[in-house]
Parts: sequence; C-alpha cells; structure tokens
Amino acid sequence: MAQCVQSVQELIQDSFVPKVAVLCSEDAQKITRKNNLNFSELLRPFCRLTSEGHMRDSNNQVQVVKNLRISVNNVVTRPSVPTSGVHSPAQRRLLSEVVSASQPAEGGVANVITAGDYDLNISDRSVKASVPWYSDWRDTLTELSTSKHYTATTPWFEAYRESFLQSMPASDHEFLNHYLACLLVVSSSEAVPVEQFLKLSQEQHMIQHNGEYTNPKWFIPNTLKYYVLLHDMSQGDEQRADSVYEDMKQRYGSQGCYLLKINSRTAAAGTDEQIPDPWSQYLNKTRTAPGPPQESLVRNDTRNSLPDDARPIVRRPTDLPVAAGYDRVSAGPALQLAAGTSHGACLTLNDHNRLRLFIQEFTFRGLLPHIEKNIRQLNDQLVSRKGLSRSLFSVTKKLFGGGKVPEKSIAELKNTSGLLYHPEAPELQIRKMADLCFLVQHYELAYSCYHTAKKDFLSDQAMLYAAGALEMAAVSAFLQGGAQRPYPAHYMDTAIQTYRDVCKNKVLAERCALFSAEVLKSQAKYSDAATLLIKMTSEDSDLCSALLLEQAAHCFINMRNPMVRKFAFHMILAGHRFSKAGQKRHALRCYCQAMQVYKGKGWSLAEDHINFTIGRQSFTLRQPENAVLAFRHILTNDSQQTATQQGAFLREYLYVYRNVPGVCEVALPQLPLPCINSSATRVYFGHERRLAEGEKQAATHVSLDQEFDQDLAAVWQDLEEQVVAAANRGVVPSTFYPTQCCLNSQTDNLHFPLAVVEEPIIVEVAFRNPLKVPLVLSDLSLLWKFTLKDFSRPQPQDVMVGDAVTITNEKEAIAPRVRKGKGGIPSVCKFLTFSLLSWQARLKLLPRQTGQLTILGLVYNLASTPSTGDSTINSPSVRGRQDLEIQGPRLNQTKEEKTSVSHGPDRRLDPTITPPMPLLEVFFLQFPTALLCGEIRKAYVEFCNVSHVPLCGLRVASTHPDFFTFGSSSLATPLTPLSPTSFENCSAYKTLATPPGATPGSVTAVTLVSAADFGSGGGGVFGTGGKRVAEIPLGEGTLTPGESTQLPLWLRGPDQEGVHEINFLFYYEGAEKGGKISHRVLRHTVFICASRSLSVRATACRSNTLPEEEGRNGSMLVFVDVENINTSEAGVREFHIAQVSSSSKQWRLHKCINPAENKDCKLTTRERGKLCFRATRCKPHEATSKSLEKYTFADLSLGNEQIISSTTPCADFFFRRCQSSESWRPLIAVETQGRHSRSQGAGPGGGAEDITGVVRKCNEVDLDIIVLWKAFVVEDNKQVILEGQLHVALQTIGKEACSLRQKEEAQEMVLLKFKPELPPPMTRPSMEQLSHLIKTNLHYPESYSHSFVQKSLCMIPVILTLSNCSLAQVDAIIDLRHKTTSPESLEVHGSFTWLGKTQYKLQLRAQEVMRLPLRAGFLHAGVYNLGTPRVFAKLADQGAMCETSQQTATPALIIINST
Amino acid sequence: MLTRLKTQVPLFSMNSYTKLGEKLKLSGLSLASTHSHVIRLGRHNSKMAVCIAVIAKENYPLFIRSVPVQNELKFHYTVHTSLDVVEEKISAVGKAMADQRELYLGLLYPTEDYKVYGYVTNSKVKFVIVVDSSNTSLRDNEIRSMFRKLHNSFTDVMCNPFYNPGDTIQSKAFDSIVSAMMVQAS
Repeated sequence: MAQCVQSVQELIQDSFVPKVAVLCSEDAQKITRKNNLNFSELLRPFCRLTSEGHMRDSNNQVQVVKNLRISVNNVVTRPSVPTSGVHSPAQRRLLSEVVSASQPAEGGVANVITAGDYDLNISDRSVKASVPWYSDWRDTLTELSTSKHYTATTPWFEAYRESFLQSMPASDHEFLNHYLACLLVVSSSEAVPVEQFLKLSQEQHMIQHNGEYTNPKWFIPNTLKYYVLLHDMSQGDEQRADSVYEDMKQRYGSQGCYLLKINSRTAAAGTDEQIPDPWSQYLNKTRTAPGPPQESLVRNDTRNSLPDDARPIVRRPTDLPVAAGYDRVSAGPALQLAAGTSHGACLTLNDHNRLRLFIQEFTFRGLLPHIEKNIRQLNDQLVSRKGLSRSLFSVTKKLFGGGKVPEKSIAELKNTSGLLYHPEAPELQIRKMADLCFLVQHYELAYSCYHTAKKDFLSDQAMLYAAGALEMAAVSAFLQGGAQRPYPAHYMDTAIQTYRDVCKNKVLAERCALFSAEVLKSQAKYSDAATLLIKMTSEDSDLCSALLLEQAAHCFINMRNPMVRKFAFHMILAGHRFSKAGQKRHALRCYCQAMQVYKGKGWSLAEDHINFTIGRQSFTLRQPENAVLAFRHILTNDSQQTATQQGAFLREYLYVYRNVPGVCEVALPQLPLPCINSSATRVYFGHERRLAEGEKQAATHVSLDQEFDQDLAAVWQDLEEQVVAAANRGVVPSTFYPTQCCLNSQTDNLHFPLAVVEEPIIVEVAFRNPLKVPLVLSDLSLLWKFTLKDFSRPQPQDVMVGDAVTITNEKEAIAPRVRKGKGGIPSVCKFLTFSLLSWQARLKLLPRQTGQLTILGLVYNLASTPSTGDSTINSPSVRGRQDLEIQGPRLNQTKEEKTSVSHGPDRRLDPTITPPMPLLEVFFLQFPTALLCGEIRKAYVEFCNVSHVPLCGLRVASTHPDFFTFGSSSLATPLTPLSPTSFENCSAYKTLATPPGATPGSVTAVTLVSAADFGSGGGGVFGTGGKRVAEIPLGEGTLTPGESTQLPLWLRGPDQEGVHEINFLFYYEGAEKGGKISHRVLRHTVFICASRSLSVRATACRSNTLPEEEGRNGSMLVFVDVENINTSEAGVREFHIAQVSSSSKQWRLHKCINPAENKDCKLTTRERGKLCFRATRCKPHEATSKSLEKYTFADLSLGNEQIISSTTPCADFFFRRCQSSESWRPLIAVETQGRHSRSQGAGPGGGAEDITGVVRKCNEVDLDIIVLWKAFVVEDNKQVILEGQLHVALQTIGKEACSLRQKEEAQEMVLLKFKPELPPPMTRPSMEQLSHLIKTNLHYPESYSHSFVQKSLCMIPVILTLSNCSLAQVDAIIDLRHKTTSPESLEVHGSFTWLGKTQYKLQLRAQEVMRLPLRAGFLHAGVYNLGTPRVFAKLADQGAMCETSQQTATPALIIINST
Repeated sequence: MLTRLKTQVPLFSMNSYTKLGEKLKLSGLSLASTHSHVIRLGRHNSKMAVCIAVIAKENYPLFIRSVPVQNELKFHYTVHTSLDVVEEKISAVGKAMADQRELYLGLLYPTEDYKVYGYVTNSKVKFVIVVDSSNTSLRDNEIRSMFRKLHNSFTDVMCNPFYNPGDTIQSKAFDSIVSAMMVQAS
C-alpha cells in the first residue's frame, strides 16, 4: 500500500487549515527580497505551531488546539480555477510535473513483500527495509497484516495529493479555503507607515467587498486585519521602528499589530555561521519546475510583480519524523538548484525565532480569538433563530415551494444541479460555523453542525452543499476519535456519488474519494478502499486514474489474504494509464512490478505483453539495455503469439538493438535468436570426403551426414581395440583411447579431442527458430581462441596467412577475440563456409599451427525478412554473437555427485592441434552390392596416402572376417593380374584344365596345405580378437606420401541370405612413433545383399565293404544333396556343380560314385541333385606328426577344369569359415553330450568320460566338403558366369550336415531357472553310439545250387567279419539263435538254421578285424536272409556295462537253387 | 455452505468493472475487444462459454482456450486475476472443512462483459469458465454440469500414462470436450 508518512488524521488536518492572506507594501517586499523570499514564503517554515493553543467554545468550555498549522498566502485576485469541476490544463500540467518529479529512489533498499507464494520486490523507499522470511507463509501473512512496516510508499502519489489539495479552488459551498485573516505588512523604513497601513487596509476592503473580484474568497465579512511592521535590522533605525510600533499599538491595540525585526545579519558577518535553510524543502520543489503556466495564475499587480506569489505551495511537515530517505528523494534535485539561490541569507537563528514567535503571537493573540469570537457570534445567531427558523423554513418551503430561494428558480436549480445560496443565507451560517469549528479542531461541534447543515441542504435539494456537508461530517466524525461515533462511510459514498453524478464536479469527488480511501485504509478496509479507488478512475484524467489504480493495487496486496494477481493486474492498468499520461518512468515501474507476479508462471501471453511494454518504455526512457533485455525475453520465450506479432516484436527488437549506443564497438552483444542447441553441436575432424571418384568408391568413413548410433559406435570401438591389440602384440596399451572423428552429445567428450594441423575442423551448429517468422542470418562465422604450442619442433613455425577473402570479412568481429588468446599471437587463420542447411550450419576451421584451440561461439548478422517485398536493404540487421557453451554429462558416480547436480566437462570444442599425421584414403573398385550366398567375387582396393608423411602398419579389422580376403601372403603368386581387367571372363579361382580323357568325378588331385600359410591361420596367436584382424600386404610395408597401391580383394557372399552390414576398420600409423596420436583409423561400411543360391546337405555313412578290398583301413560314403533354392528364375538360369573338394586332416574324397552322364551336374530352379562320393582315410604317411596340422585338399572336378582349391580364394575362405565356425563347434559337442546323458539317465560314474571319448572317436569324421559351383546368370541381356563355393562340415557318421548354418539358438524360450542346474551327470555314450562299435559283414556265395533230392540239408559256409571300429578293446557276443521276426517267412520258405556253435564270445582288440567261419543249413531251395546274427558288444574294461546290440547288418540274401 | 458462498458479496461490483473494462485497451497487444461480435455470438449459442481454462496447482496454465482468438490476452489476464478470488474462496472454507469443500466455487466475479466461474478439484487444479454476461439463459446448474464434464475429461487426461502431470494438456479428446462447450468461432 501506499504508506503515507503522515497519518490519516494529520493528513486531513493539514488539508484544512485556517488561511491567512498577506498584503505587503513595496518596501516591505524589498526587505524580504533580500532573503530571496517574499513575505508569505518567509513565514512558511514557521507556520506550524509547536505549542498548544486554547480557546473557549460557545459553552465556555476550554478547547485545546494542538499542532495547529496556518496557511499564509499572498492575495491572488485572478480566478485560478474554473468552476466547472474539472482541472484546467495548467493545473493538469502542474500535477503531472509534480508526479514526474517524484520518482522512486534508484538502488534503494529492496522492499520485499511476501504474499502467498510470491515475493514482490517493491523497490520503493521502505520504512523498514527487510521482511523476515518465514517458511510458513501463513505466519508471514499475519505478520504482514498486523504490521504496518512492510509496506511501500508511493511518494509521487502523496506529492500529487498535496498538490491536488493545494490547488483546490475556493468553492462557494464551503468556507474552509476562504481567508480568515489578512496580514498587512509595512516596512518601518516607510516615511509614514501608518498611512501605508491605511492604504493596505483599504485595498483589502476593496478586494473583499467591491464585488469586482470573485477571488479570493473571504470567510467572514469583517476579516481580521493584523498589522505587521517589518523592520530591517541591518539598515533601519530601530528606535524609530519602536516608536512607530508604539503608535500602532495605540491605534490598533496590542492584539492587532506586531513589530517584526528581521535581517539582523550583515552580509559580512558570520559567513562561517551555519544557518539551517528551512525554506529549501518548501520552495525548491516548485522552483525546479518554474514554467509559464504559473504566470497565468499570478496577479500582475504593480506592487507585486514577483511570480513567486501565487506558486502553489507544497507543504512539508517539518515536525514529523521524516525518514532520511524520503528527504533525499524529494530534495535531491532541489539541493542542487538551491546551491545557487540560498534563502534566508540575511537571517540569523535569532531572526528565525522571531519569525516563529511572530506566528505564534499572531495565531494565539489574533487569529484564535477572532475565530472564537466569530463562532460565538454565529452560535448566538443560530440559537436565536432556532426553533423559529427551523419551523419557519419548513413552513415557507411548504407554502411557497422555492420561494425562499432568492436568486434562482427551481428550474434553474435543477439545471445546475445545485442551489446557490446568498453568501449571507442562514443555511450557510451553520456551515460557516461548522467550518470554523473544524479549523480549530473542535470536531464534535463541527460534526453536529455539519449534520444539521446536511439535513437543511438535503431538504432544500441543494445537492452540492449537501455533499459538502456530508463529506465534512464524515471527516469530522472520523477525526473525533474515540468510540463515540462510528465512521459513517455511507456519508462519504453519498458525497462522492453526489459530487460526481449530480454536481458533475470531478475534482471535488476526487478529493472526497482520496480522503475516504485513506480513512478506509486506516481502518484496514482495503477491499472497500480498492473498490472506491477503482470507481474513481475515469477517462478524463489518465494521470489521476493511473495513480488511483496504483493505490488500488497496493490495497489488494495489503489485504488479509493478499491478492497478488489483482495487484499485478491493476498495476498493469495503472502502468497503461501512466504511459497514456506521459509518465513513462512511472509506467515502466508499474509494469516492472507487475512483471514480478507474471514472470515465469507460464502466463506467456501476459508476460509477452508486459515485456513488450517494458521494452518500449525502457527504450523511450533511453534505457536501451533494459529494452534489449525485455525484448530478448519475448523472443527467447517460447512464444504463443501469432506470426505477425512475432514479426513485429522482432523488428522492434532489431530496431532497439541497433540504437543501443556503443554496444557494437566494445564487445559484440549476445543475440537471443535463433536458439542454438549447444548440446547438439557436432564437431568433425578431417576433410569432407568424396564418396566416389569415377568408378572408384571411397571408404565411407565417418561424416556429419551420418546419424550417431550407440551400438555401432561400440562395434567400431571393439574393432579398433582388436586391431590396436593386434598391432601391439596382443596387448591394448593403457593409453589407448578410441578414435572419434565426429563428436556429438553422445560421444565421450571428457578428453580434449585431437585434431591434426592442416586438416579442417568442421563444426556443425544446430539452430532452432522459436518464432513463426523467418530469420535471416548472414556472415556467420566462428569465434575462437588459440594458444600456440609446439609439440615437436623447437622453433615456432611461421605464421601462415589464411584465406584472404573471408578474413577481411570477419576481422572486426574476430579481432578483439584473438587478442584475448593466451598465446597473444593471432596465429591461426580461418575461413568459413556458409552452408545453411535447414538450420544446421557447418563452419570450417583450418588450423595452421599446432596448439590448443577453443571454439567460443558464433558471430553473425541477424535480420528479419523484409516486411514489404523487395527492399532487403531496409530490413535492419544487427551483428552479434552467441556463445557455445556445452554442458557436459551429469556426473553420477560418487555419492556427492548423486546427491547434487554437477556436470562433467565437455571438451568437444577444445581440440588440441597436433603435428601432421599420415592420412589414408581407401577406394574400392568393382565392389559388388549384391552377391549370391557363397559367391566368390574379386574386387580391387586402392590405398592412397594423401598426407605429407609416410604411412605404415596398415591393418584391417572387420566384423565379418569370412567375407573377404586379401589372399595368402605365402602363396601370393600373382596368377591373376594385379590390376582389374576384363571382368567377365576371368575366374576368381585358379584353375587347371583336366587331362583329356579322364572321366569326370574320378580325378582326384590331392594337396597338402598348412593352415598357417593362410595368414588367417595365425589368428590363434593373438587370441580370439586377433582373428578379425588382417594385415594388409603392402609392398614395402609403408606408403610414402602421395603413393597409392592397388590390391586384389576376394569377396565371398555371406551364407545367410539378406542384407548384411559389413564394417571394415583400416588401421594405420605414422612412421614416427611417440606422437600424440599413436594411430589413425578409417572406417568403411558396406551393405551386401545376399540372395539364396544352393543348399548343400551331406551325410556320411560307413561303408560296409571289407577293408581288405580297398587296401585301406577305413572308407566312408559321403552323400551330398544339392538343392537349388534360388527363387529368382529370371536372374539365375542354372547352377552347375563344377567341383567338389574335401578338406580334412584325416579324410579325403576319393572318388565320385555316380558321375552324371552329361559331365556337369546342372540344377535349375528348385531342382535337387544327389552326389555320392567315397571318402578314404588319408595315407598313413600323410598322417605323420609333421603334417598333423596340415589339411589335405582333394579336388574332384565334375567339369572340364579343375579348380585348385588349396590356393588363394578357395582355401582362404575355407579357413576363414573354419575360424568362424570353430567357435561354435565345441558348443555343439557339449550340447550333444548333454543330450546323451539325458537319454541315458544317471550314469555309473567314473570312467564314463573316456568311454564317451572313445565311443565318439569311433564315430567322428572331420571332413569338410567344399562344393564349388558356377551359376549362369542373365544380367542386362548378357550371360554371366558366377562362381562360388559352399562349405559343409561333416562331423559324425550318420548325422546330416548342412551348408546353411542351422538356427539352433534362440528358437525356443529358455525357462528361467532359479536353481543352479545340476552338472550334467557323467555322460555315457548313447545306445546309438555304442551300436557303432563293431562293424559286421557276411561273406557267402550269392547263389548256391544244391540238390535237395540227394541231400536234404544244404550246408553253406559263411564267414562273419567283425571289425572293431573303436580304439579300445571290445568284448563281443555273437548270438546265432534264430529268431525270425517275420512269421510269414517261416511259413512260406521255411527257415534256415545256423549249424555248429550258436553263440560266440570274442574279444576284439583295437581296430582288429576278425573272421568267424559259420555254417548255415538250408532245408529248401529259396531266397534266405542270412543277416540274422546278432552281435552284442561292450567295451572290454567296463564290467558293469551290459552289451549293446550292434547295428544289424544289411539283409544278406542268398539264393539256394534246387537242382 | 454453498449458499454462504453464493451470497458472499463479490469483491467488485458490476459497476466498478464496467469502468475497468472501458479502460482495458492496452497498447501494443490490442486488447480492444470486439464486444459486439462476442455478444452476437453469445446470443446465438446460448449455452456456451467464451473461455475455458485449466490452471495447475502451482497456478500456471495447463490449458487455455478462448473465442474469439483476438481477445486472448484479455482472457489470460481475466483468468489470472480470478485466481486471487479462487484462493480467497478456498481459504475461506478453512482447513478443517477442506475435505468436505464443494468443488464448485460459483461465480468468482462479474466483469462488464463476462461472468467468471470457478471450480477447484481436490488436487487444487482450477477450472475457470468465462461466459458472456449477456447470456442470461445459463443457470448455475448448467455451469455446474459443464464443470463436471470438464473434470471428467481432465481425469481422463490424467489417467493417460503418457501424460506427464504438469505438462500442458494436448489431448484431442479434451480438446473436443472443450470445443463442444465453447462458442463456435465461425
């Protein structure tokens, strides 16, 4: 609330004081003029009486008059105020000046008002500076409501009110402003002072009674005249003055005259004496604004030509405890002025006392008795008339209607909505008396008089008079104090309404409202006060409305439940009115205070509006910084405004911005637009690469166009770790840090990134335009700071000159920044690119020297689009900067970090520039995008060193090592030309023509190859990781600067169909070791689309032929099922199986059993073919210890040329395939073991392991089949032959293997297991495996003729061959007891019997072959199956185990012919 | 209790706000209302609100929609200022009775053109509906049912697991409920 310095009582008292007029002779004027004052001004500081006065009322009761103040004024005859009830323009101007002169203190103590959840900083002067903060806001509220201290003052409002009340015109309906007395002042130096007194007296009489002047108004016809003889001590004759005074006393009585001696101080004397200047605070304020408007108020009298006379007086209560701040505020500008014109220069302190004494004397001796006398007189008159008059009046009124109204008829009366009484009308006498009582603080009597008067006026329908009486009645009731009478608020309301609506007198209504509001406020009826104040606002006076609204706003905040939002809203309304009234400062203040409520609460429209207004007002008040801030806020805020509105905001902002003086010269200002998403800033180190150059296809590497992928980054990092480990003999160095070419918010930015000198750094900045209107950015460039640091050379390098075109462009913006660099040398030059792509600008920086670079921000020109068509010049553009400050990731490691919010550093923009490093570029030629599964293709790769330093240690790591090969280093005989030639006819394989005449499928070429020969074989050395890394066979191991090498590269289509993403990571290092960067990498990603080709399934069967026949100790049948699963009939016409090769350490393919007649095995779509091969064990000499690790490659060509599978592409891929499959092979073994154990249940325990081993061994085949095929493909109407190879790994006899890896894992959901799984019980070989222990074979004549006639029994010798397949001793039981399973065979043919011993027990040593002669006896001719012997076997040393039935021999049919 | 609330004298008489409204022509953002337009619409759509707002517990807007659009700022100010009255009314109930407090607060205050009604959920989310004061056909019960509808729809919004409490409401369903209650701008 506007807390007033005065209390309400004091305010009202001081508003209505006895007025005394002054008439001064010319000589007296001269005397006072010495002090730069006129007489009334001279007296002004002393007009408040410090002592109590006494007077008797009509009942002879002594009435104490306390703290009385009188008002002394020069007589002004010019009518100052029109009677219309509205302020004149001059008055308005004056009031407005008063208000604008009073401003809140700058930088005063902040006054915080806590209301609800708001803390309002009302930055006015505060009586008590700080508000204690209570966590419980309710406490704060009660504190607020009970205490008056935490309130703000509005001095401008008080100034306005004072000024307003001062300028109140003397009205006819009340006498409070009328002059009660007149001081006649004559100098003692006058020749005949008494004559002069007479003259003045006549003049006064003339003014009052002539009727010539309506102004000033006089209270009572016989005005008190008080004769003052002014004596100048410095020059006049004191004795003469005294004698004149004696003379006066004689004439006017001692009560009616006074001798005032002043100017006792000579100019020379006592300059050191410090005399207080009480006048300054009364006068200077008005002097600060002396203007012509006041002239018009001044009486242009010949004797009184001083313009000061009529100046409205601004009172200052001297005897109130005025806070120092208040005086400083109001007197601040005044003091400066006062230095030139000091007042009272000729007055000593003694003179001050004399003046004070004079006033006291005048008041107590002259004025009060005069008033007392008049009250008594009036009272007598009224008493005498009482009874009579009352009844008489009413009777006459009834009888004659308006007859008693002397001047006006009723009609006129209604017109003016008021009645005009004659000044001496009896109704007015009572009012007069009331006023007199009021002036001398006799409020009780005043109230009753006003009350009576009110009734009279109301009954007369004299509304103006009635309103006045009501107003004063209410005021005096209030001032009575005590609990005698409650304050009649409705009197005030009626008065205001009457003044305003009936009398159309806005000024009086306003005065009344001001009092009423103050009274209500003092009674804590804030909401009533607010309502009243708001009601009083009108369209007529903006200033008045603004002040009242502001007061209303303060009322809202002072309510028991502070209404902060209403406060804010009314402050805005007030601000609006202030701005309309031209009070810009006040308007700004109001908006700023309202802003506190709206700020940051999400009411963006309102906030924008306030900010906009604040911006505008600040700008007009020449506070461009604040204006810029406010506008900035509108623009950065996520605005909900319409596009046009935003456009307007933007233009306004730019306009204001450009007019901020001196901003651009010192430092570039921060621009709010567009928003820069700092964390989305990406930094790329290196050149922007071309993706293709003619036929060459460059390595993709990393570019800014790629999205960052966390998983992919992990893959790359893993690859890099592997390749670094491979390069460092299997150990990843502790200093290893993955190379990051492109930094963004997701990468690890804790380290200073390393950039290489002479290689560009590209910074991508992400802009966002929050507005709906386009922004125009131009001349975008980076701001940076550079510290020179030489990492290698002792001598600093020469300063290089950068791109001249752009450096001039940026020099002004950049220059101040560069000097701030720590090195002090602006050594790095830069140039810029302006690639504004959809709000992502890429800016390039080329470091020329080594050191530490810091990218600080951006500089650019900001402009809005021209609103009207073409004029691009007109659209204002400003140059400014925005800093790039990237907040690092939130730290969340330690407990402290978890509990607080702290962020790590982000060094994305602080690259370290290191000495030159080699730079590799890789190009691919004839690199396919689509392949058939297993297809072999040859491509070329070109390595190019584009830097100025040599490059070495080139390696490559890949996620798919089985996809490509560079060929084996040892067998690198350049059979195929190194450079790519005609592609179509050249096979990727190394081939030999088959010797003519040889039958296809029978030729077996056998080669022995060591896996180590194929570089990949060495993978085991480096552990698992090393397998993916391959060294690239460069000529001399290094690439000299500028050199490029081309190498062949074989590719094999992945076995799985679909699109494969294959990553290559090329690793290389500089020739010099120990640099900051140990190595560099280049990435390449290819996408290969693999389509289905053939599916190969193979099974191995044990051959039942006797080993002796072949002369070898083992043979096997291999069935290869080939199916064309390619579905695109249009593309691939047919597949030819060109060759089947085997690769194994123990086995080799020996012969094709069913060679196709038409040489080739052709398969068109969805055809299937079966090939049957015999495989034999390798010759014993091949299985020596030396060649144990060697693989035997056997080629069985089905076509007319043999592909040497043991050489580069084929063997390479074979070995790579092995590596990748090795990892899953043991898995399967475990799996099978597990399955066995489950099928057999709990095993017997110990020793089972070696049984398993033994048993498995006997079933194990380790044979890999390589099927080489050719596909005839139609491509662009040309037939192309594609080649490929598929691998099948045969592991066990009888188990089918497939070229396509079976999807074994992740097919079924694994049950969650809460108990640790029991270790698989000791595995025991399965029945099936055990049934393979012994191979049986029967030897007998196929047909036999026997004459059953001769001999009924036919005996035929049969030899049973038992061959132990295992490597352990086996006990076998042969049971010959005949048990035919099929009963019908018995019926039809009868049966045969085994003769002799029918059960044998044998022991077979490891791999022993035993022949058992048997004899079969036949009774009839016919066909018999001899395969009935049942063989049971068990391992010899396993006693507990029972024998297992061995695989039954195939049916062995014998034909017995009867002769 | 309701009757007590209803009979409570509004802080501003109609008259005082009439005065205010005349002066509510703030510069720059053109608060100047097109009253005639609004009134005409009000007559055509007798059961409609001109502004509906949802205010969070912390007194920031979750949702404000008003017709006509050009008066948006004025409605923002009106709704914001009405929060004071809402707070006053809530605090008037007192702590002990807070649980049984009726959610519907009744007329907050009338302005020259509009009547402002309030409703506070138990979680202190405020609903404010502004209707045209020329619209005499709207009874208290209808306003009440509008609030109930609004509350139901708001509950649905809150139940949406993808809605983050405290965010501005951007729900199509809520939008359509609000639109159905509002004067059609066309």
